[in-house]
Amino acid sequence: MPEGILCNKTPIKTDEQLKLTLSDSRGTKYYAEMLELEVDSDALWALIQKTMKSRTKTWFEICAHCGLCANSCFLYQVNGRIPQQVPSYKIQSTLGEIVKKKGKVTNEFMRHCMDVAWSQCTCCNRCGMYCPHGIDMGVMFGYLRGLLYSQGFVPWELKIGSGMHRVYRAQMDVTTEDWVETCEWMAEETEEEWPGLEIPVDKQNADIMYTCNAREPKHYPEDVAEAAILFHVAGENWTVPSEGWEQTSLSMFAGDWECCKDNVQNVYDAIERLNPKRATGTECGHAHRATVIEGPYWTGRPDGLPPVPYVHYVEWLAEALREGKLKIDPAKRIKEPVTLQDSCNYVRNQGLKDVTREIISYIVEPGYFVEMSPTKEHNYCCGGGGGFNGIGMYREQRNVALRTKMDQILDTGCKLVIAPCHNCWDAIRDLEEEYEIGIRWSFLKPLIIGMLDVPEHMLPKDEE
Amino acid sequence: MFKKIILATTGSPASFGAARVAFDMAKRYGSEVTIFHVLGVPTKAFSQVVNDVRTGEEIEVDADYLAWVEEELKTTYAKQFAGAENAKIVLATGMPPREILREARNQDADLIVMGASSGDSAKYQRGYPGSTLQKVAKAARCPVLTVHRESASYWGGFSNILFGTDFSKQATSAFKFALNTARELDCDLTIFHALDISGKVLDQDQIEEQLIVARKRIRATYVPLMGDFKNFDIEVWEGAPYVEIVKLAREKQVDLIVMAHHAHELDAEKAKIGSTVEQVIVRANCPVVSVSKPDKV
Repeated sequence: MPEGILCNKTPIKTDEQLKLTLSDSRGTKYYAEMLELEVDSDALWALIQKTMKSRTKTWFEICAHCGLCANSCFLYQVNGRIPQQVPSYKIQSTLGEIVKKKGKVTNEFMRHCMDVAWSQCTCCNRCGMYCPHGIDMGVMFGYLRGLLYSQGFVPWELKIGSGMHRVYRAQMDVTTEDWVETCEWMAEETEEEWPGLEIPVDKQNADIMYTCNAREPKHYPEDVAEAAILFHVAGENWTVPSEGWEQTSLSMFAGDWECCKDNVQNVYDAIERLNPKRATGTECGHAHRATVIEGPYWTGRPDGLPPVPYVHYVEWLAEALREGKLKIDPAKRIKEPVTLQDSCNYVRNQGLKDVTREIISYIVEPGYFVEMSPTKEHNYCCGGGGGFNGIGMYREQRNVALRTKMDQILDTGCKLVIAPCHNCWDAIRDLEEEYEIGIRWSFLKPLIIGMLDVPEHMLPKDEE
Repeated sequence: MFKKIILATTGSPASFGAARVAFDMAKRYGSEVTIFHVLGVPTKAFSQVVNDVRTGEEIEVDADYLAWVEEELKTTYAKQFAGAENAKIVLATGMPPREILREARNQDADLIVMGASSGDSAKYQRGYPGSTLQKVAKAARCPVLTVHRESASYWGGFSNILFGTDFSKQATSAFKFALNTARELDCDLTIFHALDISGKVLDQDQIEEQLIVARKRIRATYVPLMGDFKNFDIEVWEGAPYVEIVKLAREKQVDLIVMAHHAHELDAEKAKIGSTVEQVIVRANCPVVSVSKPDKV
């Protein structure tokens, strides 16, 4: 059987195919079909010749096999320091082999590559900082994922994830109507406590446009309400687009390049349509990387920048606090040991390490903030990055991976972890569920709302 | 006014009291009742895995699992389903309070009926402090009827309503609900205010003076709203408000208590039902309705 009904080289493009794939519990049939999936070596080699550019070729050439990347990789550290977990080995023995063999590899080998690409690398890019030549194996694994995806060797959940993006233009089945309806609902639910609060949809020429993660309207719409509260209190002239509101990119995790471009283009189109001065997104790491850092290149923008300045939520928040648009009541600041999880996707990909600490300086009583060690751009992945969190067949490996972050948190002695990234937030939630170390975790939005010094005129005036 | 009722239930014994009232109302008042059950809480990022609300186990929601849960609910409520023509089951996955609110909004429900707590410390609630009831009662557009004690002196139907007021804005909405229910179902209505003297030592003259003031205030505030409705009386007692309400309800054999719910707490995670209504819910021998919004009264 060269191509399966569920596991094949064709991306999910219809709701019907999406539902069919979803109905295959835990991908049982999908993975069974994968055992028979034929490798189209010619197509694979043609794709490599077309897409593998000088940077990757050079990286393969210049790797000195020095092994300095080994210790930089938390998966190497946490998995008994076996040679198979050394980043340079991981990439050379997978992508390197495929290239060497000009795509003439077996089904079994492709499945092995899939295991390595999605369960032995979270694309956290830490190794790239420690390699004397600057070889970033996270980037190379991102590339390998694309090759694997093109041949149908991708974990079931991510085939579905990128299918969701293709069918719904969101990582979950949230339609435009659902989204707009959710905005109305949240405005309705919030306006009593915050008189005058609005969630303006498709407002032209706003100062800032807000994008989010489909999980928010789907499961946690109060996150949208919280964003609205903070924009409202800060007096921002803001808007959300009815189309192009989804900022995340499971297609990036999946290696579905065509879809990656479409996701980002959809957001950029919203920017072009509504003409905001700036844009920002929710507390998410990979969404920022996809839309702001990688996206301009995917969509072929010559300046390598989004159509308007696109700041991360932590940048907007730091600015609002700095300029006094949002005021913190000093009495409500955090007065317990608290630590901060740096999201790889914006701390290493964009260097956003100082703004988060600036926020901390406003919301934590001096003396209570404890840095993890290592920290900032040297911080470790939460343990669930790059799609690792959501893949059922690698759950066991993911749970092992969480131990690094667990030890880091335990060493701080803090019971509260601020995690301004959906993926990190999930991983830390899961690590508490798995290892029960007695911690709490939070995004910034709810914490800040609880500490605001709200101007008198913004408070409800109903009670006597 | 009870056309559409949502019975939000875990299907556990803690919800049987609520189920009894909801099904009874459906039969008695011809309401449509939706047995709404959130079977799993999303977890594991974008995966399809949820934690089952009853067991805390990870499960994959597929057609088989949904069918099995529906069958379980039908078995659990077999007795109630018999003779309930307008009853249907709706299953969902998500955060329970959020999904209950979503369903109520989608249906434009008139009343949400639920138990006060699922009883045990469910694993899925970790990271989401605060109970489902508190979050639902805070945000629902419609009144929320809670049955906490299974031993409730609820024999079917409503005939004797106690409305407890603190004169807040929300209390006006609660009053309208109490009055309209009393009118529609031909009930007696007691309008009650408890002068809060808990923890204070007050001069008796002062107490009595304040009782008179409160009584006058009830007359001025609520009586003009009642038109030709005459089946009411007014009581003003002093004490700890929740104790006085529960005592009066017992003495009068009240079968429905109506109170306002207000939330000043801006932090949603800490949002609590006003402590008086919360205490009443836990202690009363009859169903308690909390009203926070003016929309569906």
